[in-house]
Amino acid sequence: MSATDTGGRVRAFGAAVADGWTPERFGLLAAIGLVLLAFGPTFQVYLFTDFLVVALFALGFNLLYGYTGLLSFGHGMFYAGGAYGLAIVLRDLSPVVADVVGAGIAPVATFVVGGIVGLALVVAVAVPVGWLSVRLEEIYFALITLAFGMLGYSLIIQDPAGLTNGTDGVIVLLGSVDLGAASVRLGGRQVYYALTVVTVLATTYGVWRVVNSPFGTVCKAIRESPDRASALGIDVRHHRWMTFIVSAVVVGIAGVLRAGLASVASPGLTHWSTSAIAVIATVIGGATYFSGPIVGAFVFLYIRWAISRFPTLEAYWELFFGALLIAVVLFFKQGAVGGLLLLRDRLLGDGDAGGGDSGGGSEAADSGDGAATDGGRAADDAITDGGTGAATDGGPTAGAPGDDSRPHRGDDS
Amino acid sequence: MSLPSLVPLIGIADVVIGLSLGSRLFLIAVGLSLIFGVLGVLNFAHGGFYMLGAYVTLAVVTSVVDNFWLAAVAGALAVGVVGAVIEFAAIRRLYDRVDADLDQLIVTFGFVLVIHETVRFVWGSGSYSIDPPDVFNFSVSLGGSTFSAYRLVVIGLAVAVLASLWLFITRTYFGSLVRGTSSDREMAAMLGVDVPRLYTGVFFLGSVLAGLGGALSSPLQSTSPALGDQVIIDAFIVVVIGGLGSMSGAFVGAMLIGMMQSLGPQFISAGSIAIPFLAMVIVLLIRPEGLFGGIGE
Repeated sequence: MSATDTGGRVRAFGAAVADGWTPERFGLLAAIGLVLLAFGPTFQVYLFTDFLVVALFALGFNLLYGYTGLLSFGHGMFYAGGAYGLAIVLRDLSPVVADVVGAGIAPVATFVVGGIVGLALVVAVAVPVGWLSVRLEEIYFALITLAFGMLGYSLIIQDPAGLTNGTDGVIVLLGSVDLGAASVRLGGRQVYYALTVVTVLATTYGVWRVVNSPFGTVCKAIRESPDRASALGIDVRHHRWMTFIVSAVVVGIAGVLRAGLASVASPGLTHWSTSAIAVIATVIGGATYFSGPIVGAFVFLYIRWAISRFPTLEAYWELFFGALLIAVVLFFKQGAVGGLLLLRDRLLGDGDAGGGDSGGGSEAADSGDGAATDGGRAADDAITDGGTGAATDGGPTAGAPGDDSRPHRGDDS
Repeated sequence: MSLPSLVPLIGIADVVIGLSLGSRLFLIAVGLSLIFGVLGVLNFAHGGFYMLGAYVTLAVVTSVVDNFWLAAVAGALAVGVVGAVIEFAAIRRLYDRVDADLDQLIVTFGFVLVIHETVRFVWGSGSYSIDPPDVFNFSVSLGGSTFSAYRLVVIGLAVAVLASLWLFITRTYFGSLVRGTSSDREMAAMLGVDVPRLYTGVFFLGSVLAGLGGALSSPLQSTSPALGDQVIIDAFIVVVIGGLGSMSGAFVGAMLIGMMQSLGPQFISAGSIAIPFLAMVIVLLIRPEGLFGGIGE
């Protein structure tokens, strides 16, 4: 690598900027940003809430894809499960809940009950569906989850039990909390944004704990090589089943939030094209990174918004994402997060590209959405990913010669 | 759903319509199955290819040459070229990856979006329909029910396509190369088969079949940009039930689903659209290789 004068200056600048930026400071900055955003234009608050929900959806999906190597095309069914659980409880059980807790805080109590019912529904579906699906792998797993998702779609549309209101879906009315002096509209943009931020942050932290637990380490071993993991005595199928359930629950939480945001639980949520959104966001962001789906969801929603600024292009935003998806899979499998890490290494003059060491740092800031804790994880994954050599970029290969031990170093959890 | 009302409902027209729906499904599914059987690629964009075939045919009929059959051939060949280019430019890069299957699925899904939007850009969001060729543009009355004569033509063409594909795969030199490569790619390569070229050729053939399916079905359906997304799911059901890679399986699976679509709603009022998906789940769990396995069978 030739250290030209300009390159040296860029690196010096990068180092100066990065100097002293600890993960804690980034966390604080992100928290301030999140609070400030609540007072932004209403549409921006809505867009960011939308982003948070899609990010959680993709994060849940990627637990299965990025961490055990199973690509599901049916996670929409759990998105819908959470949404319909909330919607049906709000429609049918509001008076019952109000009787128990009193009219004042009834909307919040109903929301909580609805969310719990939604998640219970998701678990009730995910346990048998997951048990059956993890018997298959690769394409066959993608096909069976697609079939299960579309089966759910058919049932919601045809509504044999008279619960889901067919193609129209179920309207979600969140109501207002009456606190005597003040009345707070639960569905108000700012209130709902706050609710979403707290829920998404808490769930993301939970997922982060899971992937960094011994359980998560086993999952990554399965992703790298199911056969080798199996030879080590790991029950691959059982682990995939458990991951399937956890993944479904995370997606279900996103579904509950989606229903409140969209004010409706609609059958389209179970359609395979909704499941595909998680695939697009995850692949664009980088499936091997914890923050990949989050950054991918950010790219997805904000580029879509940017495209919608141009009326002539607006109708064709899918074309852009189709092309982007193809380009990422063909040429840069690490996705946006991999690109950001590469950029950070260039800026900091870290010749050992792809081998992050201290974690935290600028990568977490780039995700900028409160997932500030994932820097270390992503850096580790970058190492693992370099080891598999799936990519065509210069990063992992540049550092490879005479450096055999590196790919195995990343397991500190 | 009382029992006495069941019997008179199954008219000959329902059977013919079921078979013609099945023929349409066969024409799209057989290419999908062929490509999977030889290349191991599950082509998500196959529904898009089918739709593109219908659009090109419509465009040629209305503005180039007023002959449906020529237009259908043009549509099929145009789609074949698109398919070959996609295989050559994108899918080929993925064969040697560790997780090739899923990467191919995702890339072809990317092409679903690209084809969908391109079609919308060129032809707009509206739906088009076309009359069957004049020779067959009349109704047939049989047993007190009527249906378009063109439906019989589509059934005949589907059978003809199955027969010629079978002859092609089992009786020609290229067919033996295809079979050999499908069962052992490395060995075929060592024996001097130009595998990459063969792959492009098979992808071309599969795409031509998808385009032909779209072209021949265009008088039976309204062609809109949503068509591709609808038929690809039906095609997945068909190839899974028939067996991924099996052409005769695709035929039987397509006829089963076609008859189910035609007769199902009369038997089961609720849940009839769920049944094909349920069948798909059950087949995947009990017999993932499908009810009929293997290429060329």
